[in-house]
Parts: sequence; structure tokens; C-alpha cells
Amino acid sequence: MSSFSRSAQQWATFARSWFLIDASMQPPGKIASMCSVRLQGKHKPIYHPLSDIGDHVVVMNTRHIAFSGNKWEQKVYSSHTGYPGSFKQLTAAQMHKKDPTAIIKLAVYGMLPKNLTRRTMMQRLHLFPDDVLPEDILKNLTEELPQPREIPRKLSEYTQEERDAFPMLWTPTNKVIQIWKETSQVPLDQRVLDTIPSQKLHSE
Amino acid sequence: MAARCVLQSARTALRTVQSELSSKGLFQRTPGFSQLSFLGSRGLRHVVEKKDGKMTVIEGVLEPTSERPQPPNPTASCPIYRWNLQNKYNYTDVLLLSQFIRSDGGMLPRRITGLCAQEHTKIVICVQMAHRAGLLPDHKPPLPEGHVPKPKSNPPLNRYLTRYSVKSVKPIYKTGLKWCKKRMSVGHPALKNNIRYSPKPLYIQH
Repeated sequence: MSSFSRSAQQWATFARSWFLIDASMQPPGKIASMCSVRLQGKHKPIYHPLSDIGDHVVVMNTRHIAFSGNKWEQKVYSSHTGYPGSFKQLTAAQMHKKDPTAIIKLAVYGMLPKNLTRRTMMQRLHLFPDDVLPEDILKNLTEELPQPREIPRKLSEYTQEERDAFPMLWTPTNKVIQIWKETSQVPLDQRVLDTIPSQKLHSE
Repeated sequence: MAARCVLQSARTALRTVQSELSSKGLFQRTPGFSQLSFLGSRGLRHVVEKKDGKMTVIEGVLEPTSERPQPPNPTASCPIYRWNLQNKYNYTDVLLLSQFIRSDGGMLPRRITGLCAQEHTKIVICVQMAHRAGLLPDHKPPLPEGHVPKPKSNPPLNRYLTRYSVKSVKPIYKTGLKWCKKRMSVGHPALKNNIRYSPKPLYIQH
């Protein structure tokens, strides 16, 4: 800001901020890309790969991340220590059960530049499985980043007014109810019966 | 075809009424049944009996429909086309999907809802994805009485846009090289014609 004094402007430009991201119901890849951008310092106009201007990023609720598709069962994390017989392959679900922060940690590690600064950037990444954060980190936080994915609402979260405002697309007729009663073993749904103004049916 | 169904329903209604009358044997059969009512619109009717001395008139009277918003395209056969919702809904539109499912989560048959074949399959796919994403928590099948659920060792994992059922999928141990990679499928190709407001194409193989 032009109204700041020189020392305040210097401080505002080069200070290391602490960002907070809530990863609940979010895809881990998108969270990891947001983290890697801020850990490298690429969100700052003064970026240079050699100047160590990355910020700290705190990710909470990593236990509640949501993979799209069937990745929990299909995605496989492989590792080999170099010794014979130590090739391990774990699915994302097994990995997550063993360590709830591992998926995001590996994703961020793979997105950072493959040089010696990567390890220092990983040290500035703080992952927490739940929303319980230690006090010293809570005191350092400066900004919360918006979540990348819009969480869809469950049917139970809609109010009755919203449900009533939504029009019925199809209405059952007496003939349809008759077919249903004659042919189906499943009893007629109460919701279908409620659409009939008065409960006057043929065969009762 | 709709007219034939209406005529059939009216004929069966008349037949049941006539059989009742003949079994009772007390009242005269009136020749002047209102022949016009079953040529009118489909709808719910209730049976009304009127007595004038020795004459009984039994009629199926159309019930006044409550004031409901009219669809913008009433001449279409499929409800989705009637409301111009083709290519506009997704697995997140739970208010729409819940109109085509039973209380235990299963789909209503096509002959009942009146959906066309393509839209019925699309709705089935969206309902499956919504169930797997946990967006329909109250539409679970009823458990037998006195059943105590076992304590689950793994808490349920959050997921969305799952194409295949969780138990049927195998892990991809060897993904292959970049040119022949075994991709993980997300979403469903049946919804590829959905309207997208971003310039990026639909990304189905991750």
C-alpha cells in the first residue's frame, strides 16, 4: 500500500504468512495444488525459485477428504525401500486408514519442484486429520482460503418450503395406482399416495 | 396411445360399476351415462352416486386439481422434456431425483413415471451416484426389526461422481505408461451432453 511507511511496506512484502485450508469433502488433488502454489511462493509477484519466499500452509480435516470416482479403491500407492521383497502397494483406502494425512502429503510432495528446496517447503506444510489445531499454530494463522469444491446439499438439508416450492414433474393417476397394486410386491410409497388430493382409490 | 388407455380405464370403471349393479339387482340401469367424461383429460376421478327416485346415476367425476405450476412444454410425453430439463440436471439435484425413487432408495418403473428410455437411464445413473455420495440419507432399505448394526472397523469414506459400485472395483496395480495408461473413470459418459458453462471439456478419465 502506498500509504505505508517504507519499513511497513518491506515487512508486508517479505513476511511469511500462514494460510489455513479446510479439506473436508474436498478432492485432495485440488487441495494439494493450492498448497504447492503457496509453499513455493508463486502467489507473490516477487517470486523467484531461489529466494525462499514460500508461506506456511495448515490443512485441517484431512481425514474427511473426498475422492471423485472410484479412486478410493482404484488408486494405488507403491513404495520400495530397495531391499528385495519390500515392494508394497496400498490402495488409497488402506493408506488413508493407516495415516489420514498421507494422501495429501504425497500429493503435495509430488507437485513441488523436484529440487533441494522441496524438503524445506514440506516442513512448512502442516497437516491435521481433524479440526483440532495446536494453540501456537492457531495464533500464527493469517488467512483462510476458500474451498475449491462446492459441497452439494443432502436431501435432509433442504427445508420443507424449498421442497414444496419444487414442482412435481409427474403425477400418478388411478390407473397407474391400480397397475402398481396389481403387479408390484412393493407396497405403494406414501409419497405417491400423498400427491392424491383425497384418498379415494378403486380397489380398497 | 394415451387416449386408448383412458378409454380402457373408463371401460373397466364402467364394467365394475355395472357388475356391482347387476349383483345388487335393485336399481335400473340408466342408459344415459355421461359418454363424454372419458374422452376428456387424464386425471384422478372419484365415484359419485346420485339418486332421483328410482333412477341412480353413477358417474366418475374429475377431481379439481390443486393449483400447480404448469410445465413450459405440456405436449411432450416425458416429464423431463415437459419441463425442459434435458441436459440440465446432475447427481446433486436431489429434489429432482427424489421424485423418481421409492422410500427405500430404489427407482420407480418407467411405465409408472412416464419417462422416456434415455432419460430413465440418466436418472438411474444420477440416483446411483447420489446414493454413493451420501446425498440421500433417508432413502435406505429398512433393516429387519431387532437388528443391531455391527460396529464398523472403517468409517465410511467420502466420495462423489462414483460410476461403479464400491465393492465391484479392483485396484489398478499397474497403471501402464503414459500412452497406454489405465485411467480411473469419474462421472458417467451418459451425462456428457449436459450444459457446461466453462470452456473446459468434461473430464471423465482421470
